Amino acid sequence: MRLVTAIVKPFKLDDVKSALEAVGVQGLTVSEVQGFGRQRGHTEVYRGAEYTVDFVPKVRIEVLVDDADAGAVLDAVIMAAQTGSIGDGKVWSTPVDEVVRVRTGERGTEAL
Amino acid sequence: MRLVTAVVKPFKLDEVKAALESFGVQGMTVSEVQGYGRQRGHTEVYRGAEYTVAFVPKVRVEVLVEDADARDVIDVIAKSAQTGSIGDGKVWSTPVDDVVRVRTGERGVEALS
Repeated sequence: MRLVTAIVKPFKLDDVKSALEAVGVQGLTVSEVQGFGRQRGHTEVYRGAEYTVDFVPKVRIEVLVDDADAGAVLDAVIMAAQTGSIGDGKVWSTPVDEVVRVRTGERGTEAL
Repeated sequence: MRLVTAVVKPFKLDEVKAALESFGVQGMTVSEVQGYGRQRGHTEVYRGAEYTVAFVPKVRVEVLVEDADARDVIDVIAKSAQTGSIGDGKVWSTPVDDVVRVRTGERGVEALS
């Protein structure tokens, strides 16, 4: 099993959610995060003074998937979250040893 | 080492914390998250209109543990977070290559205890 994590632009969340549902994803977790990438945040002018916004708001999306589905899920997130402008975010996957569904105690791929 | 991550019902956090402490877990990280599983959120009726709550509030609990403890910690969390009704959440573990305690620079298992 794999954990696919994506950091994307907040307004793209709905698109990503629909795209994931379309590839059969049954559940996901979303959290509000902040970060920066190569653009190192951006500067904003407020009342004549220039402020550097170091940490740009993003959403983090996490999905537990079967090994075989990881590639398709990654692609679905990328397609849905892409705007082509800087700050689109990143998607990656990490190996997962074990998964338990809390309600039933089911383990492994059954818990997905 | 392993990172055990759990996404559970927020009101179960205290019980999970107590269970982990009695197991001997020394620290944890908690964050507020939202998500849904097979129930696809739930619907709520407010002033006669029905709303779909797509993302249900959850807490994410993260614990770094030794390899040997990972399975037990998963079980401890799963037991303490269980209500038996839908939306109880998931617990999983992922391998961790390296851990450093920031204060001392200790690495690996030493950084955990």
